[in-house]
Amino acid sequence: MEVQLNVQTNSTVRKRINWYLWGTLFVIPEIILFFVFLWVPIVKGIVYSFYNIDFVEGNVFVGFENYLNVFHDSLFWISIKNTFYYIILGIVLGFWIPPLIAISVSELKWFQGVARIVGYLPSAVPAIVLYGMWQWFFDAVGPINSFLSSLGLSKIDFFSPHMAMVSIVLMETWQNFGSATLIYIAAVVSIPKDIYEAAEIDGAGVWQRIRYITLPSIKTLMMLLLLLQLISTSQGFQAHLSMTNGGPNNATLTYLLWMNQTAFTNLDFGKASTMGSIMFFFLVLLSIIYNLFQRRSDAA
Amino acid sequence: MKSNERGLISPYDFKKPSVKIGYSLMILMIIVMAVTMIYPFLNTFFSSLKTREEFFSFPPTFLPKQWLWHNYVAAWTDFDLPLATFLKNTIFIYLGNIAFSIIFIGLAAYALSHLRVPFKKWVTLYFLSTLLIPPATYIVPNFLNLQSLGLINTYWAFWLPSATNAFFLVLLKSFFDGIHKEILEAARIDGASELKSFLRIAVPLSTPILGTLLILSFSTTWNDFYWPNIVMQDKTMYPLATGIYRYVVYPQSVIPWSIRFAVLAMAMAPPVVFFITFQKFIVRGLTVSGVKG
Repeated sequence: MEVQLNVQTNSTVRKRINWYLWGTLFVIPEIILFFVFLWVPIVKGIVYSFYNIDFVEGNVFVGFENYLNVFHDSLFWISIKNTFYYIILGIVLGFWIPPLIAISVSELKWFQGVARIVGYLPSAVPAIVLYGMWQWFFDAVGPINSFLSSLGLSKIDFFSPHMAMVSIVLMETWQNFGSATLIYIAAVVSIPKDIYEAAEIDGAGVWQRIRYITLPSIKTLMMLLLLLQLISTSQGFQAHLSMTNGGPNNATLTYLLWMNQTAFTNLDFGKASTMGSIMFFFLVLLSIIYNLFQRRSDAA
Repeated sequence: MKSNERGLISPYDFKKPSVKIGYSLMILMIIVMAVTMIYPFLNTFFSSLKTREEFFSFPPTFLPKQWLWHNYVAAWTDFDLPLATFLKNTIFIYLGNIAFSIIFIGLAAYALSHLRVPFKKWVTLYFLSTLLIPPATYIVPNFLNLQSLGLINTYWAFWLPSATNAFFLVLLKSFFDGIHKEILEAARIDGASELKSFLRIAVPLSTPILGTLLILSFSTTWNDFYWPNIVMQDKTMYPLATGIYRYVVYPQSVIPWSIRFAVLAMAMAPPVVFFITFQKFIVRGLTVSGVKG
């Protein structure tokens, strides 16, 4: 306390330094690390998008040439189309399952804890193990196809151009829906039971209670999770890389997979930086639009 | 939920046949879900014990006829697959990551939470705004940056950037915010330096959140296969996930399926066991983070 009083009455430079000494010392290493390993790459990405990167002869400024190259590449539109297809499939196949399961599980009288653990278990599987396992499950002679043919049904070619993306989304849904379900369960369980009681006395059936009480209570959470799913699926490429490597016939080439191939297979770092920057600007634009939208709906 | 407490459906509702049917369908759905979740695990494990012929047999057998534990030995010895080195690398990377992230992120979070930092608002913004920029957009410049710093093919390329995790910073800061100023004030009056009150008071008080961080960081390190594949260039430097990606599950892999599955089963055992043991921590981590991808 004495120190504080001194500084307030007599603010010499030395006192000022002491005042901030420890806080500054504690923060500076982290500021430097963030600068070197986050902010420099982020800014360099945009700078490099105007350069032709060459490790031997040095970088050359080329203006908008990289951008033109990207836009004129036929893979650009294919990969964007695939990315959107992937995002939409993720919503169609995966988004509605967690709330459904969450409502059901929260109504279980026994084994509720077991159901939660079992649902979450696939999330513990490392990505690369997941891909290895499902390569076999989706195989032409793998378990799913053996099961189908033992039922007398025709086999599914999971890696055909039409099915490959669907297969990847199915696999990722298997892995990811557990964590979303846990979050929904927490929200569903926290809804006060009195509301259901009151609705029941007023004559609302079970379905009406779900429709008018449960779903509205988790609506905000659903929007949030939808947004997060959009953000994460728009960046998806590792599953596509390991399962199909973008094939067959570029059917699973997402935008970021194309970017990574351009950088680390074709070693065209300038063009790849440009692709990263395009994605960056696009996402920034999206978040500005989202914020404007949010503000308008808040004002209304 | 205790059985005497009502949920969405009240005991009275169960007298209606439509509710009974609906509830049974719901339970059926959960059972189907549980089977779908569990089956791949069992299949992976049992397939890893089959012979090469049985693996492809039709109709497929669920349980192996003979439990061929030798597949697990073969995975370690028979192929040019240095699993022990990969495992050692993963642990090495993990230990470095947690040391760097807890020390640097912890100090910064503590300072932002309890100490006087000049331009505190701007510093906080400087850290937290990085959360809004998706990492995937700067993979390429990040690689070029590490290369120009000469960190490619060294473990520093993981350790130093691991301290730039704004998400962990938020977690720790919000936890430190919950520590009462009075405790730290008392320590100061007793003559403890700021570093000492951080180490002796703030850190021991935040064991729950540190546990969560250790677990989150473990799963990231154990899972990550793509980034190490780019940053590391020697086979002897790869962590386990990258080793599996490059030498076990690549499309034209020469390793027989049953042995591939033995490797996969071993690679997923630690996180799965880990999860079952520390489930409470992990679920808390999930809810603390609100929602993390």
